[in-house]
Amino acid sequence: MILGDAIRAEIDELATRYPERRGALLPALHLVEREHGHISPDATRELADLFGLRPNEVLAVVSFYEMFGTEPRGRHRAGVCTNLPCSLRGARTLLAQLELHLGVRAGETTDDGRLTLGREECLGACAAAPMMRVDEVDHEHLDFEKASAILDGLE
Amino acid sequence: MIRFTVDGREFDAEEGQTILQALDAAGVLMDGVDVPHYCWHPKLSIDGSCRLCQVEVEGFSKLQIACDTPVTDRMVVHTTSDRVSAAREGVMELLLLNHPLDCAICDQAGECKLQDYAFAYGVARSRTREPKRAAKKRVDLGPTIVFDQERCILCRRCVRFCREVPGTGELSVFARGDRSMIDVFPGAELDNPYSMNVADLCPVGALTTRDFRFKARVWNLEDVPSVCSGCSNGCNLYMGVASNRIYRHVPRRNDAVNDTWLCDAGRLSYAEVGAAHRLDQALARDAEGMLVARPYREVIDAAAARLRRVVDVKGPGVVAGVASARGTNEDLFTFKRMLDALGTEGAYVALRRGESDELLVKEEKAPNAAGARALGFAEAEQVVERIRGGAVDALVVVGSELLDPGLLGSVDALADLDTLIVIDTHKSDLELVAHAMLPERHAAEQRGTFTNHSGRVQAIAPGVEPGWEAYEAGAVLAHLASALGLASFEGGYDPVGVSKSMARSVAAFEGIDLSTVGEQGIALRSADGGG
Amino acid sequence: MTLSIPNTTGYLTEHCGDDAFATLKGYTARGGYSAARKALRSKPAELLELVERSGLQSRGGMGLPTGAKWRCMPSERDGPSYLVCNAGESEPGSFKDRLLLERAPHKLIEGILIAAKATGAEKTFLYIRGEYFRAARAMERAIEEARSAGYLGKGRLRRRFAHDIVITRGAGAYICSEETALLESLEGKRGEPRNRLPLPGGLHAFGRPTTVNDVETLCHLPHIVEHGVDWFRSFGTEQSPGTTLFGVSGHVVQPGLYELPLGTPLDEIVFEYARGIPHGRRVKGVIPGGLSMAILPAGQLNVPMANESLRERKAMLGAGGLIVMDETTCMVRVACIISGFFRHESCGRCTQCREGAGWLHKLVQRLERGTGTRKDIAILEDVARKMEGQAICGFADSAAWSIQGLLRHFRDDFDAHVRQRQCPFAGSFEL
Repeated sequence: MILGDAIRAEIDELATRYPERRGALLPALHLVEREHGHISPDATRELADLFGLRPNEVLAVVSFYEMFGTEPRGRHRAGVCTNLPCSLRGARTLLAQLELHLGVRAGETTDDGRLTLGREECLGACAAAPMMRVDEVDHEHLDFEKASAILDGLE
Repeated sequence: MIRFTVDGREFDAEEGQTILQALDAAGVLMDGVDVPHYCWHPKLSIDGSCRLCQVEVEGFSKLQIACDTPVTDRMVVHTTSDRVSAAREGVMELLLLNHPLDCAICDQAGECKLQDYAFAYGVARSRTREPKRAAKKRVDLGPTIVFDQERCILCRRCVRFCREVPGTGELSVFARGDRSMIDVFPGAELDNPYSMNVADLCPVGALTTRDFRFKARVWNLEDVPSVCSGCSNGCNLYMGVASNRIYRHVPRRNDAVNDTWLCDAGRLSYAEVGAAHRLDQALARDAEGMLVARPYREVIDAAAARLRRVVDVKGPGVVAGVASARGTNEDLFTFKRMLDALGTEGAYVALRRGESDELLVKEEKAPNAAGARALGFAEAEQVVERIRGGAVDALVVVGSELLDPGLLGSVDALADLDTLIVIDTHKSDLELVAHAMLPERHAAEQRGTFTNHSGRVQAIAPGVEPGWEAYEAGAVLAHLASALGLASFEGGYDPVGVSKSMARSVAAFEGIDLSTVGEQGIALRSADGGG
Repeated sequence: MTLSIPNTTGYLTEHCGDDAFATLKGYTARGGYSAARKALRSKPAELLELVERSGLQSRGGMGLPTGAKWRCMPSERDGPSYLVCNAGESEPGSFKDRLLLERAPHKLIEGILIAAKATGAEKTFLYIRGEYFRAARAMERAIEEARSAGYLGKGRLRRRFAHDIVITRGAGAYICSEETALLESLEGKRGEPRNRLPLPGGLHAFGRPTTVNDVETLCHLPHIVEHGVDWFRSFGTEQSPGTTLFGVSGHVVQPGLYELPLGTPLDEIVFEYARGIPHGRRVKGVIPGGLSMAILPAGQLNVPMANESLRERKAMLGAGGLIVMDETTCMVRVACIISGFFRHESCGRCTQCREGAGWLHKLVQRLERGTGTRKDIAILEDVARKMEGQAICGFADSAAWSIQGLLRHFRDDFDAHVRQRQCPFAGSFEL
């Protein structure tokens, strides 16, 4: 079993908030994603059981959403917003610099498994561009010095 | 009832029907009124995603999808306007954008809706210089279906089918946008008793059956309408025939019987027609006790002589007939007439039973069990007791179901019979004890009618000819009866004529014969099949 | 004000700079929840009538009258019905709901209570886009406080009206800000927009009648209830009353969030509030309503920011995000980013959108590389036309219109790429 008792209990509690159990699927996927860093085929099967769905139905949902992954990723995730408002203020230049600095392309994970670098669509910080999200925290008004220092400081 | 107008023609619709549903019910969709469509299918839920079926509805500024637009009274629809044509052309071009142009090696070519519609509504040339999407080629989705992801146009019919019809739901759309793809869960298989229907549903060559793959080009196949003989449901099908060989079965729509579906077992049952163990010659037991090939007439005469001797010595009470429920109504009617003319104790039918489901597959594994009952055949359990008790000296058997575990189980009880005459399509253990064996045409090789479980009488037609001298069971029995000297069998056997005389003499079949059943069949007078 | 970004405030964002305003204590100290109390003493029909008379338009993109949306709820109901708050804000260039969620969570809760009372909803599902971690936490805290104070769940308002709010977080899909896709996502499914029959019919969540309102719209409600229709209509235009939050981003001296009356001229927002274009450059174009709205060129910026006036220029207010581009900007690069965004975010259900968005992106990328031809530009126009007006939701339209807008006003940029076989805008932002 991939999913422990605690997470199963939490999912059961979440399910009570919705008129249909399936309403708790996205919240449950967030829980699994946060605890395991991705949603593996085994976790998908177990979730399917918990929700009375077929594994492929769960995977169809998982694969639709950008924040859920089916493959393990780095311990930290950094995403630079590369949408228009940020790009107008140098976001893509910043991303290229970070790629060089870390030695990975966007979408890849550093060799030490520390960090997965990525790009994000607009995260709603357009007036503070360029910006990036590291795990659950937004960093705004970035330049390369600031951004690389933040990433270098990650455990 | 509400009325609406399409391209100047008036049609009726029921409240709640969408435009496509109403046109389909009127029998004019793609047959008088052309509204091309991919995702919509009459027997699946509405998806509304391919956007090809857009039509102009007066009162709406935008084009509307005919599949999901409810008909309202006095609605006026146009399907041939310039706007509609432009929209169709647009959809076609966009769909062809990422579709490989490998028609030359695609099994779907010839029955591909993308190909058809591209000619009819699309643009012949491709304007894209972009590389096409690369995806999985020739992936086994399960034991029956091969998947070519590059050809998929994401109409999702297969996804909806698996979810809504067999209820197994193996397929899903994964990812999103132009990365979307249909697939099974990693490590899982598309494996259900109806899996092969997805190949029929697939409007392009993305899903093909492993069975038919690369075997024939569809334009070389003749579609012969017939009925499946796998069970008593009587699913309507087409036999795909070329050079006197059946290459496949595909479902033929009959909303009263099988909608547009066929189970995999029935679909693959054509293999038994060309099987190596077909009984392909008449056999008679010689003086040494060996079963040897003899000319058909000679075997008929020898069998008749043996039967006549038993009747003359012991009377007709020791003679029994056991029919097969895979025989046509005409075969069975002829058999019954012969047994009645001989004055035997009874006419029996050996039924084969098996698994059933809630969809199409019925417990009785023969296409005409209801017909046999309607014609007065009793179940073979009773004759089994009589055989075991030594009350039967001579037996005329069509088929080998009598040897099934639930009945005799083996040929042992038949070893002491004075006379055993066997008429069959295939060889069986009956060879060990029969005195005469007469080859019979398979259902795929004959004309006639079956009565399905609900009492619907449906026609079958010959798709192929046996490569040896063989007749319908009814004809063989007529020949036998004639050789026995029984009156009114001299004229031989003509299925159409037999069906007409059956309609005249059997109340349940009144008005139902081969000239009246049509392509969709007619319900028996008494729906329970009891005559 | 301790907001991290420049701003002007009106009634919506007043006190948002004060951290305490996000707490129940701070909010009630500023008179919070008095409108809710007033509303809960009113009859639903009175509230509906009030909001209808106020002319409050939804601020989420379409600009539909809020009263009309509420009226879609069936009057006879045989079971529960819901309110869904659309906090799926994902429109590039728009970031107003985020501020309200993070800085004025109790105002949203109060707005929800009013809307729920008016529509008879027994529960609200607050769907917050997944990336808004901070906003979700702020709302969680506020909901907890409101529960313990009895505004939600069982408590002081319960005798008249018991209501609760469930937060559901999205998971990274722009399309889930479209209301029917949001409802699918809320139900734990792929966020694919629902087919809408061309006849009027209400929305449903979990098969029950449901109203969907966006965050900003709901936040106007306490003010309308508190101060009345005349007061509300003293802001904005006759057809578009009230203030709204304009997000200004891109090439301006002071990007920020400016609460201003609807109808404030676009050029005034860009040049006065956001203080114009830096480095002494000139403006080239402004996307007035967020990425999926058509662009306006420099010569058309004197337009009042209200739907009735923007529509005349084939633009829309959308979610009020203004993306400003200076004269160095390569509009083909802009097209690359926009079409790439739509390609990435298309749900993939409708043919036009799935295939068209990808094709647009490939075409503009080739044009930007300098390997495109005049014919490619013609195909670009044609593909955009084929995507228009034919899909289930408005996403394909947006993808088409945004490219059409660029072609309409900046055709020279595209032609120059073909002529010079390279991007002629060396000084433009990098791709």
